Amino acid sequence: MLLAASVIAKVPGIDSGFFRLAFFLKLVSNGLVNGAVYALMALTVVIIYRTTSHLNFAQGEMATFGAFIVFALAIQQGIPYVFAIIIAMVISMVAGAGFERFLVRPVEKRSALGVVIVTLGLFLTLNAFTAAIWGTESVDVLKPFPGGLGDKFTFMDGPPQFFVTYKAVGIWITLAVLVIALWWLLQHTKLGLAYRAVASNRESSLAVGIPVGRMLMLGWAISAGIGTLAAVLISEQSNNLDFNLMGVVLLYGFAAAALGGFDSIVGAVVGGMIVGLVEALVPQLFTFIGSELSLAMALAIIVIVLLVRPQGIFGTKRIERV
Amino acid sequence: MSLLDVKGLTASYGPVPVLHGLDLTVDEGEVVVLLGANGAGKTTTLRALCQMGLVNIGGSVSFDGQRLVGRRPEQVVRLGIAHVPQGRGTFGELTVEENLQIGAYVRSDSEVRADIERAYQIFPRLGERSAQHAGSLSGGEQQMLAVARALMSRPRLLLLDEPSLGLAPLVIKDLFERFAELNHSLGTTMLIVEQNANVALAIAGRAYVLETGQIVLEGPAEQLRHNDAVRRAYLGF
Repeated sequence: MLLAASVIAKVPGIDSGFFRLAFFLKLVSNGLVNGAVYALMALTVVIIYRTTSHLNFAQGEMATFGAFIVFALAIQQGIPYVFAIIIAMVISMVAGAGFERFLVRPVEKRSALGVVIVTLGLFLTLNAFTAAIWGTESVDVLKPFPGGLGDKFTFMDGPPQFFVTYKAVGIWITLAVLVIALWWLLQHTKLGLAYRAVASNRESSLAVGIPVGRMLMLGWAISAGIGTLAAVLISEQSNNLDFNLMGVVLLYGFAAAALGGFDSIVGAVVGGMIVGLVEALVPQLFTFIGSELSLAMALAIIVIVLLVRPQGIFGTKRIERV
Repeated sequence: MSLLDVKGLTASYGPVPVLHGLDLTVDEGEVVVLLGANGAGKTTTLRALCQMGLVNIGGSVSFDGQRLVGRRPEQVVRLGIAHVPQGRGTFGELTVEENLQIGAYVRSDSEVRADIERAYQIFPRLGERSAQHAGSLSGGEQQMLAVARALMSRPRLLLLDEPSLGLAPLVIKDLFERFAELNHSLGTTMLIVEQNANVALAIAGRAYVLETGQIVLEGPAEQLRHNDAVRRAYLGF
């Protein structure tokens, strides 16, 4: 392994600094932090897609709006972050359910493409609405986790140092708690079983008496809530809070969902981590690939995976026995 | 008064009318068969009774004195009608056990577990495969699962849509024997839509023949078995 590394390191165009352990670990942990946030966005995509087979293009803007609510409550009103985030998530969930019921469902009956247009319209509207209320400049940064220079666990003394910030650990714990809560909800409650039944067969769900419409609203609600949480984390991670906060992040989220399989929760998490790692590692290893191209790299890898496994890594291939 | 009383039922998919004023009744404890060729409107009839995904339903349907037309499908299930759709409609991504649990969705009593155990007694194959995904079962097993799942809502009326479709003759025979058994032991009333008239008439009390959206013939099953038109059209001799 070391020999291989030292040989590769001599190849022109490859950065030999890449193989210093502390530097490498730093890149990996950065990748996994971004990956965790992409995983959250991928989850929002997957949760809606499983029951409705729709991609919600307004997902990112809904989340941005939620983050601004947290801004208004926590920074402008001084409410503690925990409560501000919970209130914003609840508002997002109600709005998400409302969007499904009053915007998506009436259109869905007529055409599936209509839903694409509706979510695109919602994307543009919310984007403009956010800008109209809070302006187009970055307003502040949401900091739910301690983010000072000393707020970190140091594992290797430098130079270069290897440390993990409290912020990073906080993001991972948030993702872990959320995934466990989702898993429990889906696998161990009657509500979750009904949600999975609707995802599996909508017609039969009606036949056993599940109020299918309410399950679709539930999917949108959970998805909107997670989106708002993700946007708060992204604000802290990227030191920014403006009306375009989620633009590129949602693309990474879609990429992660496609990679993991659009109907798989585990796939969304693994897909998010892979996209985060690729984005962090590849431009550093191959210095001729600028970091501006990291999104293109991530997409290229996704194309390759999907050529081999169209349903994604963990997605289910729809097979029907007749 | 009949358990199910249908008068002048009409249904259309968009502008295309499928049922033209259909009358039928099913009494408590009866097994009634609805015969008809492809396209006669058998499936549409059952879907109209459950208020499932049709654009226009007209006429009157009453179940135990309650009007059904205009209700939502989940309300129909709560009133005590269970529907086993054509092509079984099991939840392929859920396990056998989860399929049975979801069948009891409208119930909130504490006997669901006991009913699942009883379903495994009636259909031992399902018990052996309780942890398997429904999508991996054979056609016959899926049909049994679909029926067992429908029974989980403790229905007073079970609607079965072409349960014999795509099954081997021996499996069909076994399945219909179980239907007869369920009717005897639980007293479950059944309305069965079938093209396989022979096996269906054998367990039924009465039968209707549906042609292009209208009832053209009705009577005791035994009598229809010996009716020349029925024999030619549905019994193959």
